[in-house]
Amino acid sequence: MGQQLLNAIFLGSIYALFAVGYTLVFGVLDVLNLAHSAVFMLGAVVAYSIVGLHGGPFWLGMLAALTVSAGMGLVIEFVALRPLRRRGAPPLSALIATIGLALIIVALIEQSHAGGWLGWLWQDGANPVRFPPGSVPNPILHVAGLIIPGDDIAIGIVTVALMLILGWIVRATSVGRALRAVAENQRASRLMGIDVDRLFALTLVGSSALAGLAGVLFGLALSDIDPYIGRDQVELRGLAIIVLGGMGSVTGAVVGGYLLAIIEVAVIVAGYTNLRAGVAFAALFLMLVLRPQGLFGSRVQERL
Amino acid sequence: MKRVLTGAGALLLLATAACGGTSSGTTSTSYKGNTIKLGAVFSLTGLGGVYGPQSKNAALLAQDDINAKGGVNGATIQLTVVDDGSDKTQAAQQTQTLIQEDGVIALLGPTLSNSAVAAHPVADSLKTPMMGTSNTGLNIVGTCPYPCDYIFRDSLGEQDAIPANIKTYADAKHPKTGVVLYPNDDKFSSDGAQIVNDTAPKYGIKIVKTIQFTKNEADLSPYVTEAVAANPDVIFITSLGGIPAKIMTTARADGWQGQFLGGNGFNTAAVSKQAGQAGLGAQSGSAWYPGINTQSNRDFIAHYKAKYGADPDQLAAQAYTGVMILADAASRANLTFKDVAKDRTSMRDAMLATNLSDTPLGPFKFTSSHDVKQTIYVVAMDGKGGFTLVSTVPL
Amino acid sequence: MDFFVQLFTDPASFYSGHELLIAQMGVNSLLAISIFVTLYAGQLTLAQVGFMAIGAYTSVILNIDARLPLAVGAVAGSLLAAVAALIIGLPVLRLRGIFLAIATLGFGEAFRFGVLLNLPITGEGQGLTNTGADIEGGIVPVWISVVILTYLIFCLTRSRTGRAWAAMREDEAAAASQGINVVAMKMAAFLLGALIAGYAGALDAHLSFFVDPTEYATPRAVGVLIFAVVGGTGFVLGPVVGAIFLTALPEILRFAADYRDAVNGLILLLIIIFRPQGLVSRGGLAIIRPRWWPLARS
Repeated sequence: MGQQLLNAIFLGSIYALFAVGYTLVFGVLDVLNLAHSAVFMLGAVVAYSIVGLHGGPFWLGMLAALTVSAGMGLVIEFVALRPLRRRGAPPLSALIATIGLALIIVALIEQSHAGGWLGWLWQDGANPVRFPPGSVPNPILHVAGLIIPGDDIAIGIVTVALMLILGWIVRATSVGRALRAVAENQRASRLMGIDVDRLFALTLVGSSALAGLAGVLFGLALSDIDPYIGRDQVELRGLAIIVLGGMGSVTGAVVGGYLLAIIEVAVIVAGYTNLRAGVAFAALFLMLVLRPQGLFGSRVQERL
Repeated sequence: MKRVLTGAGALLLLATAACGGTSSGTTSTSYKGNTIKLGAVFSLTGLGGVYGPQSKNAALLAQDDINAKGGVNGATIQLTVVDDGSDKTQAAQQTQTLIQEDGVIALLGPTLSNSAVAAHPVADSLKTPMMGTSNTGLNIVGTCPYPCDYIFRDSLGEQDAIPANIKTYADAKHPKTGVVLYPNDDKFSSDGAQIVNDTAPKYGIKIVKTIQFTKNEADLSPYVTEAVAANPDVIFITSLGGIPAKIMTTARADGWQGQFLGGNGFNTAAVSKQAGQAGLGAQSGSAWYPGINTQSNRDFIAHYKAKYGADPDQLAAQAYTGVMILADAASRANLTFKDVAKDRTSMRDAMLATNLSDTPLGPFKFTSSHDVKQTIYVVAMDGKGGFTLVSTVPL
Repeated sequence: MDFFVQLFTDPASFYSGHELLIAQMGVNSLLAISIFVTLYAGQLTLAQVGFMAIGAYTSVILNIDARLPLAVGAVAGSLLAAVAALIIGLPVLRLRGIFLAIATLGFGEAFRFGVLLNLPITGEGQGLTNTGADIEGGIVPVWISVVILTYLIFCLTRSRTGRAWAAMREDEAAAASQGINVVAMKMAAFLLGALIAGYAGALDAHLSFFVDPTEYATPRAVGVLIFAVVGGTGFVLGPVVGAIFLTALPEILRFAADYRDAVNGLILLLIIIFRPQGLVSRGGLAIIRPRWWPLARS
């Protein structure tokens, strides 16, 4: 039972990390960035590339992953989002542009083999791989009959730390104030002299870096890196979490992540293992019907 | 007198064996100048992407090897390989396109049993033989839920491989309890789980828990924790793709020391490598082993290594043999190269009479239900991306 | 490019070589029409595939268990989908914008995981074997339906109901103040969308020997939205064109072999960036603007 609780906490951390980036972009910029999951995957791929393919140290892999992911944030902004903003396009098109971008990224990695033009980055095509054993320190603690991998603890700490840091940034810095202003009303913010474009870029860079970080930790803790992590289940969970927690609320994303994980694990412990995935969506549905702004959200946005 | 007759009989036997079972092009040149069009639908991306590329590489290698030796009765083989993305609908569409657009007279594939149930009915309705080289689920050939006169497979079915594996382990270690973990939205996995549930009790293993999940689940640790909590002697994993390795890694991390027994999903290097140390000793029944003592197997391994720089695996061997089977059938089918429909049916009839003595899988013939009966090689992962032979179960 | 070459030079063999694809284009067109109806009324719903699943499973179950023909199955399927829409719609339709989309997505997935994957009657994870499948015979009803429905919906958008929907889409409060029963009209659009989607599901299931839950998951739901947005949401022909084009795209790109998916994504990206209003819009069909082009508001 205790082990399952630990599973839930660990799972919740991964979910939360993924969701925080999601909620920032959606809450602040009103854009559902579906390329987030592709950046998540790319982070893991880059880290594996450094550590697994080229034999570098883990800290270098992590640094590279963060840098590349942050860079992808800029790509998303300049390729998918900014051109549409300039044209005054309906918001739905931004969603679809990010989908297109995600498709391209996944497809390129999927096809990448040794000897191919991307072979320096990824050689395993569609196969799942893992970080070579021993490449990442992972002491395993035995406490009170429970088995706690050091990685899981690290992930939990990182998640909570990030939540606190981000929360502080949003509340207490001028960047945070600008973010909140843009979230309230983009046009007014622009009139007030806030450089909305720059804020978009900044938010996307931050959120994508978070996605990349989550991807590396995911690949590490679950021993699974392939072009498809992030798609389907993780992405949809992220959506469910930001709804549960409230759009735009960092605290909400974190709490929502843990809450969802606990519910899911509870369902499994109760014996309904095959209903686990359905739980996330049932919870999502119920929350939207009963309390659309989520647990911590402050306003219900109307936007088509 | 008797000695002379036996001698003559032996000579006759040798002669027929030589005629009926070579992997090289035959000596006749009646097809010279023609092209034999074959197709293959493999999963090069998606969930089945761990298996498809080996099949593709091996099939193309077989095409090259056969053409290099003069082709089939003088005709060259042209094999078109397409990717179905592990998607059932795509598998069906690609099958139809290969048959009606490209005019192939026979096909291999698709990789996943899950896709086969969509693609095979299409091939059958178009009266074109299609042979699975990695379909090991139930009811793929013989008694199918749809007409399957034209469907064959050269991949050893789970209904033979899994019981052989369980029996081998049970005889050696006498386990008492087991847990089955499988995704219930995949045919191959579900069929495997069903076979385990039917077979394990016969060898004294009580299945204390059956845990279902869905194949796209990212995190399997809660399921594995439940499995480990039941403290079984054996954990049965009948899943595919990246799932077995994840389960094994998590179970070992949870401190479980028991035995992993699996199905066809284990039998590729990518899975063994991903599982690493956690997979050491994980045992499954396989249709192929590098040590199979036929000349064509030795040649196949050498050529594959030379061309692709890696060792072949079971899936590669089955695909290579698949092309050999098609080529052999083509040599006996009296192809007209003008009446495509007639040629396809002739191929089917010729395949029924397949009787090869020298393939990478050993001697090969189909059963009356177009299925495979062969020696089963029980293998275990070696913790380093490869496999070691545990025992052989002759059939 | 031999896709197009063959299409124009040898339609007969193109047809026989691509029957399944043509059938899929038809089914996706129906789904696109279904989402068009809801989009036209100002609702962003992603429940189409959920309703499609209801229609498909109902029709197949009736076929294999009660030996009822496709016509009965299709009607039963779409009616059952409409009932589900009624039940779901009541709590959900007061949500707006992306929230409605996520809620309907949540319904679809919860239904798939909770119901389809776990009931014996739906074959659990394996799905059902549809022994009554008929590929040849299935195409014609699909395309006849596409043509008829496109015309009917077009007329509907020109009718008073259609104008009410357009008004609601622009400004719900203003529409209500004009005496339009917003709640009822919303539900009407949602129900109509569900009927069409359920019907599409039944026809689609008839084309395949297997129905299984993975076909009705989120990627497909998002795919239907993409048909509509890429095609253009102002005019019923838009989503249909989007569906036909995007369904055929992987086959058109066959020559790109390994990079098919990447090119597919690239084309999607380019279309949406350079023509965010869709292929079919007030300005005409991409670059063609025939004289008879109705100047519908987009």
